[in-house]
Amino acid sequence: MFGLSNPQRFMAFTGPLTPILWGLAVVLLAVGSWLSFTVPADYQQGETVRIMFVHVPAAVWGLGAYAALGVSSFFALVFRHALADAAARAAALPGAAFTALALFTGSLWGKPMWGTWWVWDARLTSVLVLFLFYLGYMALRASIDDEQKGARAAAVLGLVGLINLPIVKFSVDWWNTLHQPASFLTPGSSGLDPVYLPPFLTMLAAYGVLFLALWLTAIRTEVRRRRVVTLRARQALEA
Amino acid sequence: MLDLDMGRYALFVWPAWGASALVLIALAARALIASRRWKRELKHLTDADEAARSQAAQRAAGQEQ
Repeated sequence: MFGLSNPQRFMAFTGPLTPILWGLAVVLLAVGSWLSFTVPADYQQGETVRIMFVHVPAAVWGLGAYAALGVSSFFALVFRHALADAAARAAALPGAAFTALALFTGSLWGKPMWGTWWVWDARLTSVLVLFLFYLGYMALRASIDDEQKGARAAAVLGLVGLINLPIVKFSVDWWNTLHQPASFLTPGSSGLDPVYLPPFLTMLAAYGVLFLALWLTAIRTEVRRRRVVTLRARQALEA
Repeated sequence: MLDLDMGRYALFVWPAWGASALVLIALAARALIASRRWKRELKHLTDADEAARSQAAQRAAGQEQ
């Protein structure tokens, strides 16, 4: 596992793996989408239950991507590891996009179910804060000309943002919120009707595999970009 | 059986799925285009670097002779 921290070994290992992940993501997304529109409408929520199959995976992997960003930032900051910094940077954009999707689709689900597009309750607000952490991370990196200084400043922000993850997760337990509590794999909860499990789990897996494909591709691109920068600098020195 | 009739909730369900599809396609396209661009750029630079090195080696060998 730690052998993969060597960029050359990482590139050799992920080279054949990345196209497999892309293919698997496309297949899972196609199957998950088909399953999502073959299950019956919910007796309470009606057809809006189908929003769950895009909303929950986006929210789960928006959080997962931030965990990847935070842990990579830790390794980049403590061990000054270039590949860890590339991994943190690569997780930011897909994570921000997934979180934005979770907010947007949640709003579209909230209007017919709660009668409002938005409430400043703990879950919604903490997810908005998560999205702002993503934006802050990307803006901070982009705003500092010295790439290394920008990476270190962004890594500190990335680490600070980890505090928000348990707040997002447990916000529905710690405070009274309009958002429903966790109902999947939670002991004692009513849980999800078994009829919705196949599309839900397939879409959850699809978003996860897609995130991995996006992440690995972006890390590989970042490794190549840094090699190009190094080669250009060397050629400029030799000229 | 595929059910695409969302009834009175169509205005909520389809934008949610449409936005998700658009964003995922945009993310994938951006990642793959950037990947190709830097792969091509690196190959171009590596080839130029190798050619310059081999020319330098030939020049050095010529001078020695």
